[in-house]
Amino acid sequence: MQDQWLASPWLLPAMVAGGLVALGLLAVVLWTPVYKHIICLKYLFCGWKAVVPMVSALPAALGVFLLILVFAIMDGFVAETREMTRGTLADIIVDAHMEGIPYYDDFVRQIESIDGVQAATPIVQTYAVMRLKPRFAGIKPLVRPCILIGIRPAEKAEMGRFHEYLERQRGAGYPAANVLTVPQFLRPKSEPPHPGCIGGIGLIGTPMPRWVEETVQAGAEWRVLLAFMTAVALVTFLFVWQASRRHPGRRLWRMARLAWAGAAVALALEATFIPVVPTRIERKEVVDVPLVDYGADIVVSTIPVRPSGALEVEAGGIPKVSSRVLTLVDTFKMGYWEADSTNVYVNFATAQQMAGMEAQPASEGRPAVPARASQIQVKTANPARAADIVRKIEDAWRAFVRERPEAGLLPVSVNTWQTQQRMILTLVVVERNVTAVMLGLMFLGFGILVALISYVMAYIKSRDVGILKAVGARDVGVGSLFLGYGFIIGAIGTAGGLAAALLTLHYLDPIEIWVNSTLGIDVFPREMYYFDHIPQHLSPEWCVAVCVGVLALSTVASIIGGVLAALKQPVEALRYE
Amino acid sequence: MSEAILQAQGLTKDYWMGASRLRVLQGVTLKAARGEFLCILGPSGSGKSTLLHLLGLLDRPTEGSVIFEGQDAFSKPKRWRDRMRNEAIGFVFQFYYLMPDLSVLENTLLPAMIRTPLVKWPLAKRRHRQRASQVLADLGLAERANHLPQELSGGERQRAALARALVHHPRILFADEPTGNLDTVTGAEIMRVLARLNKKGGLTVVMVTHDERVAEQADRVLHLRDGRLLHGA
Repeated sequence: MQDQWLASPWLLPAMVAGGLVALGLLAVVLWTPVYKHIICLKYLFCGWKAVVPMVSALPAALGVFLLILVFAIMDGFVAETREMTRGTLADIIVDAHMEGIPYYDDFVRQIESIDGVQAATPIVQTYAVMRLKPRFAGIKPLVRPCILIGIRPAEKAEMGRFHEYLERQRGAGYPAANVLTVPQFLRPKSEPPHPGCIGGIGLIGTPMPRWVEETVQAGAEWRVLLAFMTAVALVTFLFVWQASRRHPGRRLWRMARLAWAGAAVALALEATFIPVVPTRIERKEVVDVPLVDYGADIVVSTIPVRPSGALEVEAGGIPKVSSRVLTLVDTFKMGYWEADSTNVYVNFATAQQMAGMEAQPASEGRPAVPARASQIQVKTANPARAADIVRKIEDAWRAFVRERPEAGLLPVSVNTWQTQQRMILTLVVVERNVTAVMLGLMFLGFGILVALISYVMAYIKSRDVGILKAVGARDVGVGSLFLGYGFIIGAIGTAGGLAAALLTLHYLDPIEIWVNSTLGIDVFPREMYYFDHIPQHLSPEWCVAVCVGVLALSTVASIIGGVLAALKQPVEALRYE
Repeated sequence: MSEAILQAQGLTKDYWMGASRLRVLQGVTLKAARGEFLCILGPSGSGKSTLLHLLGLLDRPTEGSVIFEGQDAFSKPKRWRDRMRNEAIGFVFQFYYLMPDLSVLENTLLPAMIRTPLVKWPLAKRRHRQRASQVLADLGLAERANHLPQELSGGERQRAALARALVHHPRILFADEPTGNLDTVTGAEIMRVLARLNKKGGLTVVMVTHDERVAEQADRVLHLRDGRLLHGA
């Protein structure tokens, strides 16, 4: 996503526009009369009354912190879930379900000739039942429903990251084309060879708790805590410093100022230099333990479906069951539970036979039936253009059917992987948007708070307004002083929230482990979410949008105080008691 | 009489209390010569402060005009009047009107801070501070420069307000009951300062007061009753 963002043709114009806006704002600030800056800062940091605007910056800080943190984690979920689902699928899926696509190799070639398509491969997919004998003594054979998927391994490797999810054959040492081949060391000489299969870890295994070793950044949690304490000490120092100016020469205030300055420096030094070292720890985790070893035989049964849609039946009308013994050559774990707990991969030809999709010669007056595939998976050069290519494939299919009427009027659906997996992706996106709305309400509260504070400030500082105008300050200038006041409250909240969010995201996993081990709260059960770390994807655009939004909101909310001050007649304001 | 720095012609000021009109000033006409110490004497409620606010371009008259240095102030844009108040006019009020969050020095620097943009402040600051410190020293407030107004006595506060009014070399100073909130000794001290500024510095002073003893310091006294001047301007 970040690469797309960096490659966007809008990046340079956006950066230029952003730079110009920033320069314009800087010029406005620099050419603003200095009294506004000085008085605004006095209002913000002068005495204990200044606690009010500081406290009102807290909702902004909290909102920015939560929006950036929650969105980074949810975007991380979406991004990693997308990567995982894409790993088993492809950019585009042409699906004919159980009816099957005839002459699929011809259509694959047509698809591959479309501009923007990198590769295409046929897939057979059918429902099945798997039976396996666990390696543990005393456990009866298990029967589980599954989905049998026939692939051409070399072609499938080009579709996505399938190869990376394999447990045994992961890495460059295992050619993608041979992942379903049963190696010699897994094949007993006495037995006839069976086709190889790869089973999902959730299908082949069972969840069991165990202790796992993990490397964590020990000390990181203290660094984060100290950084937050430094920020608090700094803000307190500012107040004490300002308050001490009202009591010049008072020893107690001088000492308090020194004490808080010392505390802030000491905490900052401690936060900077506290050792953060990689440490190996053991933590309890629930993992899927395979119930059978590699090389074990697994029986998979399917019910073949004829091109007409009818089930193949035996004498007596009983559906014919096609059972094959397969040898487990590998397991895969992609982290997407639906796939990990149901999918069994075999080679394409075997799956075709088991699903009844193999070619059948003409016999007894019946015409020959061509071989079929239930899906064609397509890899595009640029996934962002997948929707365009979907339309071209649909056109190509219509043309293909016209040229090959024997293919029949088959309802084929062509979808991008996102459309096909929309349920899971939409769920996370909807959750994210609901969170945004809820946090947006928090910002609404912040806006109302700033508006009220700005109004009250302009009201209680009426005499100051009168004095400034009597000395020659312009109405607009005095009004903008209160806008600046609101802007600075927003800026303090934004800076605090952004810094806290970035720091927390940087040390997210150590913090989570610390919370788990210290407080006993399992914030992120890995077996539930199926990730071995908390996923995160920090979007710079989102950070900029949140920060600019909060700054704009706080400025706009303080317009009420600005207008009140600007419209106040100096004579009226001076009479204010 | 030397040339007039300030003229008021037929100044009328109405305030509206709901539907009823309250005429505070009724066609006031006067002149103040450059370097003159003019006092407007009148009892409480006679419209003195209102007149001073109109003469000082702080408020707009209902009718009439104010000619400041030959320019009809209320036919000029508001920006011009703001600039005049910042560069050519100084104000001293009965209740000092110092900004409580700023130190005495910062209060004195206020006119300079209003006309100087942030970008020029680092270079201009030293010059302005020198001038402000000098004015404060002249008024005997050098030691109090870094104090906040609430730490000062009444006389010191009025001198701080005077420092703010004088720091930018105004051509005219408006004083609204400058001794009204002070004891006799402190009030006399403030009046001596005003008289010195007028006699030695040639500063035009327009003062309003209800105190006849204070008015004795002025070159000329005008009597205001019920919004009208009793003697000719």
